[in-house]
Amino acid sequence: MTVKTAAAGLVLVLLCGCETVQPWERGLLAKEGMQWTPDIMDARLRSQIYASKEASSGGAGAAGGGCGCN
Amino acid sequence: MAAQKNDRNPALMALTSSALLLPAYQTVQADAPPEFAEAGMQYSKYKEDDITGKKAFGGGSERFDIDVAQFHLLAPVLDDWSVAVDVAWEDMSGASPWFVGESASGDPKVIMSGASIEDNRTEVSVTTRYYFDRGNGGLSLTYSDEDDYESKAAALDGAFNSADGMTTYSGAISYSDDHIDPTQGAVPTNTTSASKDIYSAWAGVTRIVSKRAIVRFGLSYTYRDGFLTDPYKFRDSRPDERKEWVASGGYRRYFEEQNSALHVDYRYFNDDWDVQSHTLDVAWVWDYSPAVTYTPFIRYYTQHEAEFFNNLAQRDQRYFADDYRLSAFGAFSYGLRASRKIQNWEVSVDAERYQTDESWGVFSGEESPGLVDFWRYGIGLNYIFK
Repeated sequence: MTVKTAAAGLVLVLLCGCETVQPWERGLLAKEGMQWTPDIMDARLRSQIYASKEASSGGAGAAGGGCGCN
Repeated sequence: MAAQKNDRNPALMALTSSALLLPAYQTVQADAPPEFAEAGMQYSKYKEDDITGKKAFGGGSERFDIDVAQFHLLAPVLDDWSVAVDVAWEDMSGASPWFVGESASGDPKVIMSGASIEDNRTEVSVTTRYYFDRGNGGLSLTYSDEDDYESKAAALDGAFNSADGMTTYSGAISYSDDHIDPTQGAVPTNTTSASKDIYSAWAGVTRIVSKRAIVRFGLSYTYRDGFLTDPYKFRDSRPDERKEWVASGGYRRYFEEQNSALHVDYRYFNDDWDVQSHTLDVAWVWDYSPAVTYTPFIRYYTQHEAEFFNNLAQRDQRYFADDYRLSAFGAFSYGLRASRKIQNWEVSVDAERYQTDESWGVFSGEESPGLVDFWRYGIGLNYIFK
């Protein structure tokens, strides 16, 4: 129930009439710290480690290749 | 630091319009190739805590210790293309849980694999990307080779932004052809040679919600078909199919007074093995100065056990497993990343601690004696060719 509520809330935020932000007003959004993946190598390694120690993986794009990680 | 508003500088407009279109898994700009080539390398040390004599037969034992070296190159090519190359080398050694037995007092205890397992892995990934006015499309090829495992994967992805640049729609599909030939000698194996295929599709939408905040939402489906049993576990027999669904969300907000960005990411995972999980990642990216950035982060993970998991594997059932990774548990990890820019160079260091406990999870289940805690340290160096 909590998950469904959170998901519904997120979708509502996406679909709602958010304020229009003109391209010249997007300076803060373009800062390095605002990137989805600030460091590609760190992100790849962490994602591989978690996937090899937990029963879940994925969610950040299509799945990549596998490994025999124990 | 106050934001410069109403600045119609074309360079800023180009930068901002492209930076907003980043799909969750990309670091390249969405509608223009990177302006400069960049290269980076990183060395990381991964070390699992020893398992104690209280949880293992035969006294304590060392677990995995892995050294990882990574290389990354991203370069613009011609006017509308880019090429990225990622390489990783891993050298691992140590022991892993072989099976779980019952002690004289009735407590489950792990029997470790005994002889230290040695393995090396090399992964090479090449991505070419084409950029057009309102988005991009990419093709990735990845090859991973270990002593006992080979994986060949391909992925196609694309991103397309709305006319006002407020929304970006993304999608990706991938296929992986994996093959395992378990190393013989350390422990008896469940197979001598086997294969599996992995098919995956993902769709996402990213939306600007204000001058300081952006959100994203994604859905993915993954189908695994083939040998999914762990070949090195003594008591392990898993279905040869697995269907996984993931819903994810992310939020980024910039705080001008603190010169900081808040990162919040959530993932819900569900599959037909009765595993479900929640993952919450929170990070605070603090620009201490124009050259120095500190990023403390915390991650919480909790999972429901697989329907065929038992500490003492039920070998009279069709499917069974005592693998701690299929048990119910909760995990906290936390760490700090620091980076400093020096002209075109950037050096970074980071450290992370990962700890697990059955009682930290929101799903109840048997506590596996094999649960793992680990440390990870890394140092990286990046260079921008400008």
